[in-house]
This record gives sequence, structure tokens and C-alpha cells, in this order.
Amino acid sequence: MTPTIEVRDVGKWFGSVVALSGVSFEIGPGVTALLGPNGAGKSTLFRIVCGLANPSQGSVRILGQDPRGNAALTARIGIAPQQEALFEWQTAREFLLLAARLHHLPDPGRAASDALATVELDPADPRPLATYSKGMRQRVKLAQALVHGPEILVLDEPLEGLDPRQRLGAIRMFRALGEQGRTVVVSSHVLDEVERFGSRILVIAQGRLVAEGDFHAIRDLMDDRPRLLRIGTDRPAALAAGLLVAGVVQGARVAAASVQVETSDAPAFRRAIAAVARDTGARLSEVVPLDDDLESVFAYLVRGR
Amino acid sequence: MSALYSTVLRSLTTRGRLLALGALAVIAVVLAILVRTGSGFDRADTAFRVVDGYGLSVLVPVVSLVFASAALGDPAEDRTLVYLWLRPVPRWQLALAASGAALTIAVPIAVLPVVIAAAVSGVGIRLVLGAAAGALLAAVAYTAVFCGLGLRVRRALAWGLAYLVIWEQAVARIAKGAARLSISLSTRTITARLAQHDPLPRNAMSMPVAVLIPSVATIVAVVLTTRSLQRGEVA
Repeated sequence: MTPTIEVRDVGKWFGSVVALSGVSFEIGPGVTALLGPNGAGKSTLFRIVCGLANPSQGSVRILGQDPRGNAALTARIGIAPQQEALFEWQTAREFLLLAARLHHLPDPGRAASDALATVELDPADPRPLATYSKGMRQRVKLAQALVHGPEILVLDEPLEGLDPRQRLGAIRMFRALGEQGRTVVVSSHVLDEVERFGSRILVIAQGRLVAEGDFHAIRDLMDDRPRLLRIGTDRPAALAAGLLVAGVVQGARVAAASVQVETSDAPAFRRAIAAVARDTGARLSEVVPLDDDLESVFAYLVRGR
Repeated sequence: MSALYSTVLRSLTTRGRLLALGALAVIAVVLAILVRTGSGFDRADTAFRVVDGYGLSVLVPVVSLVFASAALGDPAEDRTLVYLWLRPVPRWQLALAASGAALTIAVPIAVLPVVIAAAVSGVGIRLVLGAAAGALLAAVAYTAVFCGLGLRVRRALAWGLAYLVIWEQAVARIAKGAARLSISLSTRTITARLAQHDPLPRNAMSMPVAVLIPSVATIVAVVLTTRSLQRGEVA
């Protein structure tokens, strides 16, 4: 893989607040997801990658060049920032026309219409952007990032505000762009969303890169930690005993219609639970992770690295 | 550059700004009408004071400040600057487009009312020419300077007003050295000399120096704004 984005030991701090620390990675063509909780430093990292901000330490190379003060390089990058503000008085087409003209495209009108059509917005819509919903704004931001057909797309939380059908469409589009050989970097704080990108993942938490790999490697890494689960069942005592005997849980607390278990091997637990339930005659009504919020997952990864 | 210019221009022309500053412009013309219709005072001197003391010292700098500080300051603050910045456009074009857009509004709202006030007061073509030259040069220099200020600092309006009151209206009128760095004093000098008004403003300089000061201020301001766009961080 020839890296299109190279980040070397990048740190960024604002006074005494460290936003990023010692972040290094390389990204090549295809879709890469940047996963992390809100406030992890994803947007700061994106701003540095696009040349919008200086790193306090380290270096960034985009297509072999320094992105800072490199106006020519911006022709090869498309960014959809996280903030919602647009030029509110403009129509979507006017906004896209502006982007197309500033990119010196030969047929700005056509490029604007095509980009809007790609995100399923009507180029003839006469309403100003001020009247647009969050989802529509999100699609306008995507369209302006795509309008000049950039080699690198940096998309900050691009699925926020989209309905499920639009999310599916956007994810398909990212994958298609990746398959065309473009470098697509997408940030998200939703693990299940990232799973559907079918991509390489960088996990960032508290300003540090805490994990990287394909989705399965990250999922396994996250599954490695001790997990607390509640299992709804009509025979909690029998099920608890069966799980302990099977060696897939380390502790169990029995309640009236459920059992709370702790496991350090989530994949083994997932494989065993159905068989144990069958063997003990227990009927399962639910299996609920009690500590599966991303914050606790990221906190575990930060501690573990 | 026209796409940048028209975008900044449209973003600046909000109804609130136009109405508030349009009212300031009307005051200049009303004062001139009072000068023309009044009696019992030196009309030529009073007309010059309206142009000099209100037009060049208040109207032009304040209108230039309000529009120019918002030209890049507003998009930097609401983070839409990224949609202009992250394009393959030389930064000097962005700086010039923003200053030009602010100037485009300052001319009809500040420069033209000063010229109209000079004409309405009816004291002769020299005052009209002086007012036109002084107000236009002041608007060019102030919009360039305040455009950069809006990009570099938060609350640029407050900082700009402090600069106008403390530096332009106080320090430059008292200290001769400071007068050499005053856009206000140099452009008031141009107006006074072209209008052949006697006496000249305190600390007035020669005509070539008076023309040079706002011209250099404009060039330096555009260069610094361009550097800020090249090296600064965009939110």
C-alpha cells in the first residue's frame, strides 16, 4: 500500500490541554474509519491532516506534501467538516456552484448538479440552506466535498443526522469511492456504524491512537476486556451453574428472572450461551451488555495500551 | 476571485447592518442641509467641520470597521471560512476579495454620503473634491486594516473602536510622531489641502506624505491578512 496520508508522531495542544499526543499512522486508498468518542481528538486530527491547523509536534504528509499553506493541494482533498454552519442565504446549488468555481472546474453548473444528485438532493430546490434540516445539511456538506472529484476525502461524522436509508446510501457511496482507488477517511463515534464500512479502523481516545486494524481485529480487542452481561431467563440458577461449569463466565449473580454474569472471553461466551441454555432447559429472553457503551470500551483500550 | 468577492459581499449585506449604518449616513446629509439653510455662522468652516469632524472622523471609519471586520471575521467565527479556505485559491485573492467586498459597501454608505454632504452644504467644488478623495482613501485603508483585524482577533469590533478612539482621535492628534501612523489624520489632511481650508488639522503633513500613509497602510494590511490566511489556523 502506498500511503496517501502519513501522520508521524503528531501532537496538538492548546495551552495546557493536550488534544492529540504521539499519533502516528499511514492511510492508503480505500475506506478508513476513525473511531472515537466525542472529544477524543478526531476533528483536531482531521483539521491537521487537511492543513487547517498546525501540529504542535510531528509532521503530516498528504500525497507526499506538507498540507500547511499548500493551496494547490486542496484541489486534491475534499473535506466535510463537522460543524453545521453553511452560507445560509445560498441555495444548495449556489453553495455547490461556489465550490465548483473555486476549484476552477470547466463546467461548474454540471459539477454542482451532479454532486447534489449523488447525495439525493434536488439541484433545482429554490429554498435557502437556512431552511434545511440537519440531514439535508449533512448531504450538502458531502456534496461540496465530492464536487471536484478529489483523491482524498476527509469526512467528519458524515452520517450524523441522516435517516437509516440515507445512511445506507452514504455508506455504499463511501465504499464505492474507496473501490475507485480514492482515500476515504470517515470519522464516527458509533461502533456499529463503522462495522458497516467494512474498512480499516483507527481507534482514537483521549488524543491517542489506541488501536488500529480491520473491524474484526478491533472487535476482538474490544471483546477481550471483562464484560458484564444480564441474561433474562426463566431458570436463572440453572443457567448460571451451566455457564460456570462451561468456564465461560467468572462470576454470576442470580436474580428472580435474570442472571448477571461477568466474562473475560466474550466470543467464547457468545458461542456457548445457546448450548448451555439448551442443556439446562433455560429459555432466554434477552442478553444485555451492561458496560458496552463506547466510553467504557475506549477507557479500557486507553488503560490497556 | 469574483466568486469569493460576491460571496463575501452577500454575507455582509444584512438588513440590520445596512439600516443601522445607513442611519449614520443620513446624519451627514442632514447636518449638511442644516449648514446650507442655517445662518449666523461661517458656512464654509462649518461645512468643512461636518465633512472632517463627522464624515472622515466617524462615519467612514465606523462603517469601514463594521463591514470589514465582519468580512473574514464572521466566517472565521461561524467556521464557514473553511469552505473558502480549503480551495485552490491564492490567499491574496481571498484577502483582496474580502477587503474589496467591504469597500464596495463602504463607498455607498460612507464615502458617497460624505461627498453628498459636501455638495449639499453648497460651499464649492473644492470641498466636494477634498471630501471625495479623503473619504475614498480612508475607506480603502480602513477596510484593508479592519479586514485583517477581523481575521486575527475575536471581538474585532470592540478592538477596532478602541483603536479609532484612542489612537486616531486622541494619540494621533496630540503626538506628532503618532500622526505619521494615522489614517485619519492623513486623509483629513488630504481633504483640508484640496479644500484649501485654513487652518489645516493639527499635526497635518505634506500632501505626498498624506497620500503615502493610507496607501502603505492598505498594502501592508493586505499582505498581513494574506500571511494570516496562509499561516493561521482555520476553525
